[in-house]
Parts: sequence; C-alpha cells; structure tokens
Amino acid sequence: MQRPILVIDDDPTILATVAEALDLEGFPVVTATNGAEGLEVMDRGPKRPALVLLDMRMPVLDGWEFMRAVRERGLSISVIVMTAAADARRWAREIDAHGVLAKPFELDELMAQVQRLLPTAPPCAET
Amino acid sequence: MSGVDQLQYLSWFVYLLVFALVLLRTIGRPTPAHIDMTLFFGALALIVVLGLAGRLGLRLPGPVTDDVVAIAALALGYLLLRVVADFSRVSAFVMRAVEIGMLVSIVALVITPAPLPTPTAMVVVAYLVVVLGFDGFAFARQAARSRGGTRRRMQAAAVASVLVAVVLVIAGVQLAVPQFSPALQDLSAALALASGIGYYIGFAPPTWLRRAWQEPEVRAFLSRAVHLAGLADTRDIVEELERASADAFGAPAARIALWDADKNCLLVDGSPLPATLASAWSRQRPSLMSLDLAKVENEQTGSFGVHDASAALSAPITAYARRIGLLIAFAPRSPVFANSDLELVQLLADQTAVILESKKLIDQAAEVRAREEATRLKDDFLSSAAHDLKTPLTGIITQAQVLQRRAERDPEAPPDRVGLNRLVEQSHRLNKLVLELLDVSRLEHGSLVGDCELMDLGLLFRVVAQQERSRWKRVEFHASESVVAPVDPPRFEQVVTNLVENALKYSPAQATVRVELWRDGNEARLSVLDEGIGVPAEDQPRVFERFHRGKNVDDRHFAGMGLGLYIARGIVEQHGGRIWVESTPGAGSTFHVAIPASISHVEEPVQRVS
Repeated sequence: MQRPILVIDDDPTILATVAEALDLEGFPVVTATNGAEGLEVMDRGPKRPALVLLDMRMPVLDGWEFMRAVRERGLSISVIVMTAAADARRWAREIDAHGVLAKPFELDELMAQVQRLLPTAPPCAET
Repeated sequence: MSGVDQLQYLSWFVYLLVFALVLLRTIGRPTPAHIDMTLFFGALALIVVLGLAGRLGLRLPGPVTDDVVAIAALALGYLLLRVVADFSRVSAFVMRAVEIGMLVSIVALVITPAPLPTPTAMVVVAYLVVVLGFDGFAFARQAARSRGGTRRRMQAAAVASVLVAVVLVIAGVQLAVPQFSPALQDLSAALALASGIGYYIGFAPPTWLRRAWQEPEVRAFLSRAVHLAGLADTRDIVEELERASADAFGAPAARIALWDADKNCLLVDGSPLPATLASAWSRQRPSLMSLDLAKVENEQTGSFGVHDASAALSAPITAYARRIGLLIAFAPRSPVFANSDLELVQLLADQTAVILESKKLIDQAAEVRAREEATRLKDDFLSSAAHDLKTPLTGIITQAQVLQRRAERDPEAPPDRVGLNRLVEQSHRLNKLVLELLDVSRLEHGSLVGDCELMDLGLLFRVVAQQERSRWKRVEFHASESVVAPVDPPRFEQVVTNLVENALKYSPAQATVRVELWRDGNEARLSVLDEGIGVPAEDQPRVFERFHRGKNVDDRHFAGMGLGLYIARGIVEQHGGRIWVESTPGAGSTFHVAIPASISHVEEPVQRVS
C-alpha cells in the first residue's frame, strides 16, 4: 500500500471535501484538524505520509509549530500550504513549503500540485 | 564746592533726569497717569532749574523767582494727589480740600510781602506735609495691593513722598528755630537726594530693574503653564492660562481670545470679542485701552464675565508669525505704570503662544496616529473579512467540483447527499458572514434594531440553544425566574449567539460556558461566563470596538472578523442597555448585558420565536 497524503485543516468541511477529492483520484488520505493531531499521525500512523496539505492558522498547534516539530524529529516531507490569508506565498517560503494553494482553489490546481510532488502518483482511480 | 552742595547738585540732577524720562514716556504714550506724573516732575524740575539758575548767578527778578518756586512747591502735593487719583479712588472732598488749601496758600504767599511771617509759613508747610504724607500713604496702600514691579515701584514712590514731606518738616523747623538751621542742612540735602532716587526707582526705573521685578511673576506663570499642553481639552488650557495670567499680573481677571479663521473673528469662550477690546489685534502690538464696561457688555449678548475694570491691557498671541489670538488683562483702574505692565502682558502672551502651539502640535500628532490606527484596523479588517469569506467558499468550490467529477465519471450514480448537504451548509455560512458585514454597516447607520416586542428571554435563549445544540453541548443555562423584556427578537438572539460563540471560541475544548439570566430591579440581566483565555485589563474597554481583538489573541490561532462583540454592543445600546466585561486573563471572562425590562408582569409575553 502506498504512503498516504496527510491533510491538516481546522475547518471540518474543507478537510472532508479535500480528503474526498483526493480519495476520488485514488490517493490514500489521512486527516487531522490541527498540527498536534497531524504530529500524532506522523509519529504513530501505520505509514509515514508522503505529502502534507497544511493549513496555517489553526488552534492548538498551527502550521509553523507543526513544521518546527517535524524538523525537530528529523523528518523530511513534502508540504503544500493551503491558506486563505493574503500572505500565503510568504508563509509558504517561511516554512520552505514545496507548493502553495491559496484558498479558494480549483480542484485541478490541487491535483496538479499533488501529482507534481508525488511522481509515483497512481493512475486515475477509474482505470 | 562743599559736600552739601554736591549732594544738592546730585539730587537736582536726579530730579531733572526723572522729569526727562517721564516726559519722553508721556510723549510716547500720553495716558492720564503719565500726564499727571509729568506735571508733578515738571513742577519739581521748575524748582530745580530756578535754583540752578540762582546758583549760576543768572539773577532773575528776585520776588518773581521766589514766588514761582513757592507756587511750584505748593502745587507738588496736589499734583502728586492727581497721580494717586489715577490708580486709586480719592474722594471728591479730599480733592476739593487740597485744591482749596493750595489756592489759599498761593494767594497768601503772593499777597504777603516777603519774608513770610513765621506762623503763616508754618501753616503752609503743615498743609504740604499733610498732603504729601497722604500721597505717601496712598502709594504704600497701593503697594500692599499690588505685586511684582508695580509693588516695588509703589513702595519707592511712597518712601520718596514721605521723604519729601520730612524735608519740608525740616524746612519748617529751620524757619521756626533758625539756630538749628546749619545742622539740619546736611540731613535735608541727603533726604532730598534719597527722595529723588526713590522717585527715579518708582517712576522711571531702568529696564534691568523692571525685568528683575517681573521675573518672579513670569517664573510662577511658567511653572504653572509648563504642564498645560498635556491637558486633553484646549478650553481647560485656555482657562488655566487666563487664571495664571491674572495672578501673574495681579489683575482681577484675564481673558484669552482665539482667532477663528472660519468665522473670521476673535472668540472668547465661543462668543465674539467686543470690537473695542480688539485694538491690539489689528495693531499687532501691546495696547492699553480705557474701558467703559457697560459699552463693552452691550456689544455682545450676555456678560463678558469681568466686572469692575476700567482698563484693559492686551497683547497679541503670535507663534511663528501665525496670529493665534489676544491676551487681555483687566485692571480695576488705569495702570500707573502702563509701559511695564504692557511689557509683562506681552511676555505672558508670548508664553501663552508657546503653550497653545505645543498643544496644537500634540493634537496634530494624535490625529495622525488615530488616522494611521484607523487605516491599520481597516486593512486588518479587510484581510480578516476576506479570510473568513474564503473559508466557506473553499468548501463550496471544492465540494461542488468533487460532485461534478463524480457526476462526469458516473452519471448514473445516486446523488451524494452528504456532499449536497455540505454545499447548502457552507452556502449558509457564507451568507451569515455577508449578513454580519451588512449588520455592521446598518449598525453604523443606526438602523440595525427594528421593532421591539415583549419577549420571555429565557424561552428565547432555549430556542436558540436548541437550534445550535450540536455546537453548544457545553453551554449551561441558569434562570431563577422568568425575565420579560421588550426586545427585537432576532437581534437579541444575535447578542446571545455572539456572546456564547465568543465564549466557546476562546475556551479550552472541554470547558463549559455558563449563561445566567435574572432580573435586577428594572433591568433584565444576562451574563455569559467562560473559562477561556480572558481579556487583559488594557483591552477590556476596547473589546467592543470595531475590528478590535485582544493582544493575547494570536491571529494564527483565532481567525475571525472581530465584529461579534461590536455588533452585540450596538444591538444592546440600541435597546437602551449596557454591555461590559469582567475578566481575569488566563482564568476566564464574564460578559454582562443589562437592558431595560418591562415593568408590567401582567402583560402576557409574546411567545414568538423566529
């Protein structure tokens, strides 16, 4: 089984729809509603995620704190920042993200970025 | 030349000097006081000149010279009394008595062949001594009432007048007991010189002495004025400057008129300055005006607030060639020493200019800061509003495109109910945010709260709590009695919702939020207690402001427009109520609402729920 994509967002609707969209394309997905839950998945999940789709402003542990904790663990992982803030690009640079999705984004854009970062992307689920 | 001669020449020189200085001043500013002083010192100068002419051997016809000297000497007391009458009230009786005494003495002197019989001479001397003594006393009394330079000058004039009286007494003694004459010659000459110096100090002091006398007054004024620019209200500053000026000046009152460029006139406390008082403004230099107060008060409606003043000294208040206004000090009588008083008024006006100018700069700086703060809040608000609107929009777009893809791939598949519900829910959420923004705009136009009806607030709360039950699991409600109040139901629900949502948002995940409802006298009271992060003391008065969020609210953790409490306050206030917060940072907050409750318990509440 391939490594999942971890989606972290405090908005339950966005979390559910993004997960559903990735699932529709055949990507395995795990979700978390904040950075702390995200770390939990990184630490204890059955498989280490291949990619993180990361919201920045979240309660408990935000995007910056999550990334700091990931680096402290010596883990290296591809990250795409998803945020509605005007500072999206600056924040993405701050945490050395590999991609940025400014909310609201198109599904095609999401898929394009995911497939760019996961070269071993599965073929379309339908085939 | 003997020592006595030297003393005499010296005192003559001093008298002539004082006369010259006083004459020059009178030519520059012919006030009644200046003219009277000139007459007095003119009489003295005449005596000196004739004495000098005698010494130099210019023999004028003897009897005429003696008569002129005697008449001038006799006039001294009366002329000095005229000076006294310029700054204090001298009764008409005294004035007439002195005039008659002078005339009688002069007539007696002219018709009696020289030498004057001793008894007559003694009466004439006694008359002069009494009048000069009275003048000296009047100067001393005025000195006690004055301050600063005027006080010192009055004291000097008093001493000088008394000394002249003593010199006359000595002259009388010399007449009566000729054998004492040589012994008293020295004393008389010394006293005459001392009196000359006294008059010099009193009536024509050098500039450095005048400055030194003014210094304590100016210093006292400055030490009071130095903190004034920090006062919030310019009116308070002006009033305090007026008081300080009046005190420094020893005047009963002082007023500051400020130039109003829009109305194109000088305003004192909001009303126009009477034109008669504005001469210093048009001339832009210190001016002295004699006042007819009745006329001044007639020029404007209402009283000018100054009574018992017959003169006004005013000086323009100017900073960097910018004309700010006019400082006017009122004096009960025309000032004797107008020049130094005007100098002082101009000094105070200059200091006033500095203070008012500082105040203006402070205000301008505060205005700039407030504008910057408003701009910053607006920018923050726009980015915050955009963020909040984008969140449901992201859900809607993503969900809609997921549904689209599903439909494209399997047109026969049954509709995805969960996805459709999400779409509807997120659309509502978006709509709610848009409405909130509109509420702010309506609130600011005062049209947010509509018609009020009597409602049972407990019932109203339970209905809202029922609608929101999925998210309000941790909300406890306590009401010991039924509380009925006239409210606009949907708006009051909004207050409750905003306060509860706010409490939930800033509380730890498992903490409860407690809502209490009770009646306190004529008020319906609602409070919402949480165990959240709290509001720091410095933020407490500002949490209800538009766009404001607490210092301890990390933007990264808590997205939000910062409008909930602002809208809540607006609604409560439009219900005629109050809203406030009590909080201990780290321990929690209690938001209180008090609105007027219905007085009547009999009336059945409308049990309508939107």
